[in-house]
Amino acid sequence: MAWPFKSAGKGAKPDPAAVRAAMDAAAARGVAWEAALNAKKLPEFVEQRLAAAAAGKTPWLATMTPAELLLVRSHGLRPLATVTGTCWFQYGRSWTEGHAEGWRTALHRLKAEALACGANAVVDVKMRTAPSGLSASMDYTLIGTAVRLERIGPSTNPVVATTPALEFVRLLEADVVPTGIAIGAYYDWMTDYGGAARTMMFAGNQPLQQLGAFWENARRHAHQELRQDAARHGNGVLAHTQFGQLIRVEQERSPDRYLGRHIVIGTVVDRRPGQTIPHPIESVVDMRDELSPLNRTEAKSNNAYSSNETEGAI
Amino acid sequence: MSATNDIPAHALERLKGLRSQGHPGGVFTSDFSVNEFLLVRKAGFEPVGLCVGSCIYHVGIQYGSWNKNQEMSVLSQAMYHARELAMSRMREEASDMGADGVVGVRLTVKRLEWDANVLEFVAIGTGVVHAAGHTTFKGPKGQPFTSDLTGQDFWTLLLAGYRPLEMVMGSCVYHVAHRGMFQAMGTIGQNVELTNFSQALYDAREIAMERMQAEAIEASAEGVVGVDLHEGSHNWQPHVIEFFAVGTAVTPIDTERDASTIPDPQLVLSVNS
Repeated sequence: MAWPFKSAGKGAKPDPAAVRAAMDAAAARGVAWEAALNAKKLPEFVEQRLAAAAAGKTPWLATMTPAELLLVRSHGLRPLATVTGTCWFQYGRSWTEGHAEGWRTALHRLKAEALACGANAVVDVKMRTAPSGLSASMDYTLIGTAVRLERIGPSTNPVVATTPALEFVRLLEADVVPTGIAIGAYYDWMTDYGGAARTMMFAGNQPLQQLGAFWENARRHAHQELRQDAARHGNGVLAHTQFGQLIRVEQERSPDRYLGRHIVIGTVVDRRPGQTIPHPIESVVDMRDELSPLNRTEAKSNNAYSSNETEGAI
Repeated sequence: MSATNDIPAHALERLKGLRSQGHPGGVFTSDFSVNEFLLVRKAGFEPVGLCVGSCIYHVGIQYGSWNKNQEMSVLSQAMYHARELAMSRMREEASDMGADGVVGVRLTVKRLEWDANVLEFVAIGTGVVHAAGHTTFKGPKGQPFTSDLTGQDFWTLLLAGYRPLEMVMGSCVYHVAHRGMFQAMGTIGQNVELTNFSQALYDAREIAMERMQAEAIEASAEGVVGVDLHEGSHNWQPHVIEFFAVGTAVTPIDTERDASTIPDPQLVLSVNS
């Protein structure tokens, strides 16, 4: 989209005709987006951009690294376009279900863009969220690179992999196909009628049976849902994101209530049991700086949640 | 055409000086790590010097309508223009050094503490020259190429049969509409998509991406590698957000090497992580 200014820099005066044209174009885009989101489709200009990328008429845009470009030649994995899916969702009724639905909608939209450029896979899918000061709603955004594996034809249901292109190919070589993203989310309330979860200072060592069981149940349910979601596209999950919170809500003249919520998100894989990597293991020196075990601070993550798993880690 | 014909005499002298032992100017400067340094040299390039371009920019003020999704074109233009100035100054310095290109470019935006509307933009990277004097590695219009790839990635890119042309970018500062009170009241306690917000993010990202792509087309690139698409809010009023897309435009090396000489990558399993 062109700039509404004739020239940049000091004293640049907007050209009135260009500004009017830009405003009209912006308004038209707004209408197109609204219509497209309501009809669960893509606006025409997005479809055109993706179609041009698929046909090789415009430069491809890829989050891939140079090392991953080697895969173009060796494995026929061709980058097509950067594709995204966004859903800003308000979770006024249920935080947990809202998060699950927000990510699922974003996933659906990401796939629609991948389809529009004739991709059979999306790799390096990152979960992102735009900063906002709003409560009770969040941006659920997925960004990835649509690719075409030349050996297989166009797909009506492109696989979505949170792994970068290198890892994607490495999994394929080991006869494992990353197929999608699975989400498991669960929340529950517990009212502590007997006050058993509140202990006296000198109560001594004791497991808090009721609270422990409640929390374990919430996690189990989330994992159960993850398993069911994953079963739709594969037979395994590499769950990279686990986010759980146990919250006590104190109320006057009534027993404490506890909210336990847990969300698990992972990459679904389809593997043949018993199959292992076909390569022997060989020691090599990795010359990338950030991978040196000497100066690494934290593992790279494609996580939109600031992990709360480190606190109290063993 | 001989390969050295295009380099101006003063640049050649300076290069000679920079490379000869014991010459007071014969020192290169770079912010390379050891691995990076070794791999840039393995790729056939020598570092010449650190190239810096900076720009302190007063970003104009623009208010978005409270309940409207719209691009803040004054701010978009400012963010783009200031980065472009920093980049072109860095490129100019590289050009003066006789560099064929700049690798490992980092482009940063800093806020100055005394004025919320003044931002400092810095572009810094290491100028390199081809050790054997090939001039075909230059970027568009005979300017030094620019790339935000590290030295390691630079080597790998050449290995993969591509060379960098220039860093391409696109920006879009966008005002996300506030929701009216009645609208907000209507959905209290519900789980619903806030479509106007989704729409705003989509539109802003799409515009930033299209602008980056237009630059890539301009540079006659085959593609853009290492695309980074991120959001930021540089101390603007709430609901104003910048989408910035940046990456390195690349083109296949066909005059330098035959594609069949490019080795297949050997995939390794890391036992470190």
